[in-house]
Amino acid sequence: MTPFDLVEPPSLGEALKLLEPDDSAVRPLAGGTALMLLMKSGFFRPKRLVSLRAAGERLARIRIEPNGELRIGAMVRLAALEWAPEVRRDFPVIGHTLRTLANVRVRNVATLGGHLAHADPHSDLPPVLIALGACLVLAGPRGERAVPVEGFATGHYETVCKGDELIVEATIPPLGRRRAAYAKCTTRSADDWPALGIAVAWDDDGAIRSPRIVLGAATERPTRLKAAEALIAGRTLDGALLTRAGEAAAEEADVVADARGSVSYKKQLVKVYVARALRAAGAGPAAP
Amino acid sequence: MSATAKAGQIGRSLPRLEGRAKVTGRAEYIHNLRLPGMVHGKIFRSAVAHGRIRRVDTAAAKALSGVFAVVTSDDIRKVISNPYYGPAFHDQPILAIDKVRHVGEPVAVVLAEDPHVAEEAMRLIIAEYDELPAVTDEVEAMTSTVIVHDALKPAGIFPDLKHLEGRKGTNVALDFHLRRGDVKQAFAEATHVFEHTFRTQPVMHTPLEPMVSAAEPGDGTLTIHTASQSPSFVRMEVARLLGWPENRVRVKTAFLGGGFGAKLYIKLEALVAALALLARRPVKISLAMDEQFFTITKHPSTFRIKSAVDKDGRVTARECEVWWNGGAYADVGPRVTQKSGFTAAGPYDIDNVAIDSYALYTNRPPAGALRGFGIPQLVWAYESHTDMIARALGIDPVEFRRRNILRDGRPQATGTVMKDAAIDKVLDRLVQRLGWSRPFDRGQGSVKRGRGLAVGFKASIAPTTSVAILNLYADGSCGLYCSTVDMGQGSDTAMAQIAAEVLDIPAETVRVVHPDTDVTPYDMATLGSRSTYHMGHAVKRAAEDARVKIDALKADLGVPPGSNVPLAELFRRKYGMQAGNIVGVGSFVPSYASPDHDTGLTPNATPFWMVGGTGAEVEVDTETGHVRVARLINVADLGTPINPRIVETQLSGGAIMQLGFTMQERMEFADGQLLNPNLADYKIPGMRDLPARIESEAVDAVERGGPFGAKGVGETATFGVSPAIANAIDAAVGVRLTELPLTPEAVYRALRKAGR
Ligand SMILES: Cc1cc2nc3c(=O)[nH]c(=O)nc-3n(C[C@H](O)[C@H](O)[C@H](O)COP(=O)(O)OP(=O)(O)OC[C@H]3O[C@@H](n4cnc5c(N)ncnc54)[C@H](O)[C@@H]3O)c2cc1C
Repeated sequence: MTPFDLVEPPSLGEALKLLEPDDSAVRPLAGGTALMLLMKSGFFRPKRLVSLRAAGERLARIRIEPNGELRIGAMVRLAALEWAPEVRRDFPVIGHTLRTLANVRVRNVATLGGHLAHADPHSDLPPVLIALGACLVLAGPRGERAVPVEGFATGHYETVCKGDELIVEATIPPLGRRRAAYAKCTTRSADDWPALGIAVAWDDDGAIRSPRIVLGAATERPTRLKAAEALIAGRTLDGALLTRAGEAAAEEADVVADARGSVSYKKQLVKVYVARALRAAGAGPAAP
Repeated sequence: MSATAKAGQIGRSLPRLEGRAKVTGRAEYIHNLRLPGMVHGKIFRSAVAHGRIRRVDTAAAKALSGVFAVVTSDDIRKVISNPYYGPAFHDQPILAIDKVRHVGEPVAVVLAEDPHVAEEAMRLIIAEYDELPAVTDEVEAMTSTVIVHDALKPAGIFPDLKHLEGRKGTNVALDFHLRRGDVKQAFAEATHVFEHTFRTQPVMHTPLEPMVSAAEPGDGTLTIHTASQSPSFVRMEVARLLGWPENRVRVKTAFLGGGFGAKLYIKLEALVAALALLARRPVKISLAMDEQFFTITKHPSTFRIKSAVDKDGRVTARECEVWWNGGAYADVGPRVTQKSGFTAAGPYDIDNVAIDSYALYTNRPPAGALRGFGIPQLVWAYESHTDMIARALGIDPVEFRRRNILRDGRPQATGTVMKDAAIDKVLDRLVQRLGWSRPFDRGQGSVKRGRGLAVGFKASIAPTTSVAILNLYADGSCGLYCSTVDMGQGSDTAMAQIAAEVLDIPAETVRVVHPDTDVTPYDMATLGSRSTYHMGHAVKRAAEDARVKIDALKADLGVPPGSNVPLAELFRRKYGMQAGNIVGVGSFVPSYASPDHDTGLTPNATPFWMVGGTGAEVEVDTETGHVRVARLINVADLGTPINPRIVETQLSGGAIMQLGFTMQERMEFADGQLLNPNLADYKIPGMRDLPARIESEAVDAVERGGPFGAKGVGETATFGVSPAIANAIDAAVGVRLTELPLTPEAVYRALRKAGR
């Protein structure tokens, strides 16, 4: 590691000014859990790190809006999100997902913004946020824009967030009658990054409405499995449907092989875990 | 001694003496050592598995501001003319000379005051190689035309390696052969013959404190501070390399953040010694976690095992062929090959045995001792094989073991008659704890349950020496000087208990002085679960020697032998003031007979036997292949536990370590490169990987040759873990895995193949 500047601007505006979109050695710093690994291995040699620690209240808070929408600041620690009473009450699937994300030490330090901006395809939260229809607020020199989490990651470690932009917060619409669940599958150790993660959500009016089935980790980026979604839409869950949904998902999923499993094995896991996630969501209480 | 002293120090679950210092962050580790004027070294390593070094360009590294020096083997040879080291072979160069033989082999070192500058400069070094074909598989290495070493150079420490001197054109560093009875005849007469082949994968010790050594040049002397399990050997070997008498080399250790065999013999010590002499200032090298994977590993192995069984289900003959992948430098692999060769046929009473065990050089990182010294690899094979035979014959696996088990008084494969080896008792306790005769819940739906067990044994390393000094100071307090290294196994506490028992004082009042070769006497090394037995004896004798001297002092002063006059008072009477010492000395070397070179037979293969068994209950998810170990039972014969609580943690710790090697860990190589030299991708067990229930038990046993009936325990619980789990998987879902690790994908594929 060679010397570099660490700056801690007191506001979002100041932070944005300190970014240099044309210099990849200038980066925002959140929890640092991902960046430090890149720096230790020599892949990333910073010139300047712009810490967002003091960049304003908006990045630091968790809030439920009067309309039930959940707003999470980019600098909110994953552990804080895991334990926030309002999140546990209104969005239990988020706390449930976080419990198996990395370990307590990482969650105590890592932030939501860093987690999403890093865009490691093996991340646990993006599929869940996509299933819930979440959006991100990005701030840049030309103001702010909202982008859905679906489509935020464009590939391995790549996102639509430009070099002069920052994630400010994430917004999640109220669950309403939506049921949701996340099923994580690890193959090398219990606290590993997922070999795959399946997030599901749908509106429940007795039948399945507007379903989302999102596959993470096994694909280049989190991917909705639309054939499986179409298959379950308008139906009620039963054993046969679970099996068929799993099969359809495995069929359409464009999985990639890595140290966590071969393509054929991961397809099998997709099949099993889609059924398990659907079953878990169906079994759990629908949101009030 | 003092009237308030307590006997009964043996069998006492005294909390570890260093516990408080460790949890409050005050314990001494070499990692934290800073010496005045010290420079840090960063190692530049080979990127190819096998190649001739064409050029090492250090110019850019040298030019970087803050760099003190960049060192290659040319420089090393200025201070050490023949810079090859190793306990079995003098085959390992301090820095690569002419050739590199494995990925990650040290080629050059950058020295700088700032370790970050050293690392930065290291990345500026350029090496060019003429790549050579590499041999990586242990079985291929037997016949490969790729030869890792042009000539073999036995160190001369092991008499049994002498015949290899100068041998050319082979990768076989040691071949051990055992022949007992008439194997051919027995196979010809057999009712059933079974043959299976098992494999184990490359794994690493993963001490959480990576290897670290520092050397400090003095006036014609050298002090080495090192996280080593074998300070006495380091001194001997560094003195040999420098051509100095041992008294000019001083080696000091502190607590180790884990060793497990990784920090044995020489690792960084010869390198820092040479660097310090070149730099004329203290040099420290602290490895990063990834570098440990290139430094020492556990032997991958292939084991072909074949058994003849008669109509009554008795094993009448066994043939074992074991190939050990020793990597590019022998380290202590030849001894692993030989000592484990003794017991490759398992803890069974078999009249006709043939064992061939081969230590092979390959272009992989070197392999050495790792918690069990080859035994877990063997037990994996022979206890899987045992269950497969029982299953094929329709005999209950416990019953089949009972029919064949090796009992005290019977000769083992080497011809050595078993004594104080409670193999049958360990099996019985496993059976009881598992409730083997009771009905077992076989699971439902896609989750199937099964249970299995396995028993293994090990001959201790021999013959080795331990020496201890016990110093009673003028106020009557006690210092114990021994070179056993406390690397987390609790040896300080155990040794204090042994000394205290003899002296009739509370163990917590004994101060254990850590290894410092200028101060503490010789010990072969802290390895192979030998310390409790060997150093335990030496400490006991040192304490007894001190007692004899106390009694002599009493006689001298006319104090009656049984009186309780405090020692301090005796000293005062003797010297007229608070002054003087009583120094007790004890040494121990067990008897041993080397195996016959041709037959491998010996009447005395080991000072003591270690016996360990495992029972496992597993749940297999038949849709995904995930295996959950619901219950892991470790039962061991370790003689009399000196400290029952520490014994229990040694058993559970050993079992958990082997659980990682069984279920998860594997160094992944592709195109000669190691893909996962980091803890993000090399997965050791975390809390959530542990079985819900782990039970550990020491059977009621006594080692009559051991100090207070004790023997070693550090490795015992590793023996049975892998086969017990594989046997349980087979019981659950009817598939047999023969290669470690038992990953979900491997289990799933086996299920599909079996059509389940
Ligand atoms: C041991 C370990 C295990 C892990 N296991 C898992 C796991 O099981 N599942 C899982 O999902 N993840 C896992 N992770 C990854 C973890 O979730 C990420 O490391 C973490 O979320 C990154 O957050 P951070 O705040 O530390 O980011 P940082 O390291 O600070 O930043 C990461 C990236 O995001 C950029 N960035 C940060 N904040 C912003 C912002 N507001 N706007 C724009 N860009 C920004 C940074 O410049 C950097 O490029 C694991 C990590 C570790 C170290």
